[in-house]
Amino acid sequence: MARITAGVASSHIPALGYASDFDKTSEPYWTPAFAGYEWTRAWEAEQKPDVVILVFNDHASAFDMNIIPTFAIACAEEFQPADEGWGPRPVPVVKGHPDLAWHIAQSCILDEFDMTIINEMPVDHGLTVPLSMMFGKPAAWPCRVIPIAVNVVTYPPPSGNRCWMLGEAIAKAVASFPEDLNVQIWGTGGMSHQLQGPRAGLINKAWDNAFIDKLEGDTQELRYIPHIEYLREAGSEGIELVMWLIMRGALGKTTRMLHRHYHVPASNTAVGHVVLQPEQE
Amino acid sequence: MTGSTDIHDYLAQFDDIPGTRVFTAKRARQGFHLNQFAMSLMKAENRERWKADERAYLDAWPMSEEQKQAVLDRDYNRLLDLGGNIYFVAKLFSTDGLSFLQAVSTMSGMTLEDYSAMMVAGGRSPEGQRSIKDKY
Repeated sequence: MARITAGVASSHIPALGYASDFDKTSEPYWTPAFAGYEWTRAWEAEQKPDVVILVFNDHASAFDMNIIPTFAIACAEEFQPADEGWGPRPVPVVKGHPDLAWHIAQSCILDEFDMTIINEMPVDHGLTVPLSMMFGKPAAWPCRVIPIAVNVVTYPPPSGNRCWMLGEAIAKAVASFPEDLNVQIWGTGGMSHQLQGPRAGLINKAWDNAFIDKLEGDTQELRYIPHIEYLREAGSEGIELVMWLIMRGALGKTTRMLHRHYHVPASNTAVGHVVLQPEQE
Repeated sequence: MTGSTDIHDYLAQFDDIPGTRVFTAKRARQGFHLNQFAMSLMKAENRERWKADERAYLDAWPMSEEQKQAVLDRDYNRLLDLGGNIYFVAKLFSTDGLSFLQAVSTMSGMTLEDYSAMMVAGGRSPEGQRSIKDKY
């Protein structure tokens, strides 16, 4: 049977992708941001996940204002890196896992989550930057990827509680897939940042670190944070953190934290990164 | 339950955050053509036409005159006031060759140098920036 063996959370700041693509990661500005991923790169090389379910948001790349799906699952054989206005990132094509993706889509819909199904989608920095952070610059990505796109741009985005519940439904779906697969789930985006208006540049280290603390153990506090708190405390784009809760929800009752990393800044944003393991019950 | 589920209460809270325009349905409706215009700059051939004659390019879109002028002025705060969304507006400043850091700094009223220095020093503190009404 397929099983979710770990959860990873990571910011997906485009500037991290730029630093990786143009070999700037040993410059003093970038060293501390990337150093916190070295542990994870070694760990991923041992873990060798077959599939990563990668929760992210599209930044006006695949979706424009015509169609705004709240939760969408991408079921294609492969996904091309998107041209976000300055040419696609020079990273490998992302290979999907249509069998498992369609299985999750069907299972979640039966479980009362009205998923949008995507058969063709270019993937932007929201999806490819976490792959670069965890795997570096290989000729091909070492695993299959099932993209789950969440609307966190047009209000209201889904509640944290709903995200957590979707994670639970995804975990249930994975557990009923007959093939023996090592599956990880990644939640991306955040942490505190605001890319607009006179309050631009807001960073809240205390709030971010309290959020990270509550990913470990059996507390369910995070699922009840209202949107207004994300906006006030973590900036207008800090709302992306609800996507981490899909990952957390998929890990079951209790988690153990294997690794954590926090650094300010990368461009306008606080970098947060965590590796979690579901605790055996 | 995660906070208010009454849509009126939910939306009213957003007006209490200093220096922030939350991208609500109202703004999404107001800015639909503005954001779709910005999205069109994702295509290289459109960028060329845009650069050749900005005004003529804009006039092909059913946008308000205020929106068109704010685009020509690269007044990003005004664009957000008129329904623009930052990820769409980003297509405009990317076409100009600006990074997020450069464009975002102009919205904060700071110079790029001062803004970058603030970020390196840990970013803008949330103190006093959470609520207009309650000043905390």
